[in-house]
Amino acid sequence: MLKLFQHNTPKIHELEKASSAIDVRELNLWFGDKHVLHDISMRIPKNKVTALIGQSGCGKSTLLGCFNRLNDLYNGCKYKGEIVIGGKNINHAKVNVARLRTRVGMVFQQPNPFPMSIYDNVCYGLKLQGVNIRRHLDDAVESALKEAALWEEVKDRLFESAHLLSGGQQQRLIIARALALKPDILLLDEPTSALDPLTTLFIEELMAELKQRCTIVIVTHNMQQAARVSDYTAFFHQGRLIEYADSDTLFTMPEKKQTEDYITGRYG
Amino acid sequence: MRQIALNTHISDTFNIELENLRNSVLTMGGEVEKQLIDTLKAIKLNHAGLAEKVVLNDLKINSMEVQIDEECLRIIAKRHPTASDLRLIMTIAKAIADIERMGDEIERIAKLVTRNKLPHSYTIKSSMLLIGERVAVMMRGTFDAFARQDEQAALEVYEQDNRIDSEYKHLLSYTTEQMEKSSGGMQDWLDVLWALRSLERIGDRCKNVCEYVVYLTRGTDVRHTPLENIQQKLDGLI
Repeated sequence: MLKLFQHNTPKIHELEKASSAIDVRELNLWFGDKHVLHDISMRIPKNKVTALIGQSGCGKSTLLGCFNRLNDLYNGCKYKGEIVIGGKNINHAKVNVARLRTRVGMVFQQPNPFPMSIYDNVCYGLKLQGVNIRRHLDDAVESALKEAALWEEVKDRLFESAHLLSGGQQQRLIIARALALKPDILLLDEPTSALDPLTTLFIEELMAELKQRCTIVIVTHNMQQAARVSDYTAFFHQGRLIEYADSDTLFTMPEKKQTEDYITGRYG
Repeated sequence: MRQIALNTHISDTFNIELENLRNSVLTMGGEVEKQLIDTLKAIKLNHAGLAEKVVLNDLKINSMEVQIDEECLRIIAKRHPTASDLRLIMTIAKAIADIERMGDEIERIAKLVTRNKLPHSYTIKSSMLLIGERVAVMMRGTFDAFARQDEQAALEVYEQDNRIDSEYKHLLSYTTEQMEKSSGGMQDWLDVLWALRSLERIGDRCKNVCEYVVYLTRGTDVRHTPLENIQQKLDGLI
């Protein structure tokens, strides 16, 4: 039959285990006495954009933080269950967290460039890893800035302060900084909520490009953004995963009433 | 099946917009239904004046279609509806095109009445009125199913089209026989055939709207699916 439109995102149940970038198994997380995540199990597919949505306080950013052990920084954080990345449970005590964070990069809501030049911002992580050969650093900076669609705008002023860039450029710089380390997974925590609509579209376009080379997990409060950019969407409510499906299904025919109520702006 | 509550959004304005949109479709449907009833009455009584009124009234239906379309566009642009809200708007945008075409078919029949073109044969006239009555019942059922978001009711109405189709075929062959026996007046016979065809087409358009009602309530597209396979499709078996 003639196929006019190609929307080939497989359904969640059709995804093969081997195609998972992150495999979350019965994850529970507590901050002190507060049980924040309850029995989360989900497989996040490789080279796709997966959006985590839900009301403030539903646990989506906390889950995102679990993927690079960011929550370790909070006192009283404890967890049970597994998160398997690259065949290894990253919750294991012997995991090298610094190495994990080079493989799982993170970008936050507010662009946070270091008070140094554009060039130094991008190669900061590489230098920490001990890369000092100038030619290697030059190549990595150029390649990361190109991937982050910023190269053309900054190639003639690489040694100017990063703080002279606009908000959208700063956010792309932060993405370039993460990309310089060649991560397998990029975590984006509301990456465009501080940006204007046009710059937001640039970043969204960038995500579509970047998923060719890494897996992207994005937390967003903007449902239209989730619908636009993501291949899969997970809806969370009060620390529980309510529904996880391909975004086409979740935004047109969600299975659960709670999901429906949330995405259509109804009283839950 | 989950009923779509239009009045439970956090935004009251959105609740009102959707409720008004839905009501406007029912108003449009009610107008078309009245047009059909008036046309049948005009055929029965050979009442050219009433048929003339129907022809003029079609402009009102055309204008309703345009207004509802614009409102759908406005809501899509401003509200970015999702899930059941999106399905409701898609259903409405598609249904009103069919409802408007029902109006056109009725107008075509009414025009024939204004020119005194409809049938002089008692058998054909009474059979045509019978089919017309069935189409009117089907139309009412269609709009009721939409108003109540009742997929089962929509499927029951959908089935009624089979009977209309079979009566239409029967009357068509009878009319053709009469044409062959008749000497001259071929254009008059063709007009009768067109009117019959229009009634049958209204039944088909009701069927289309019923399919949209199923899509609205279940999110399953049952267009071009034989009736006997629809339930299986709804059960996810095919």
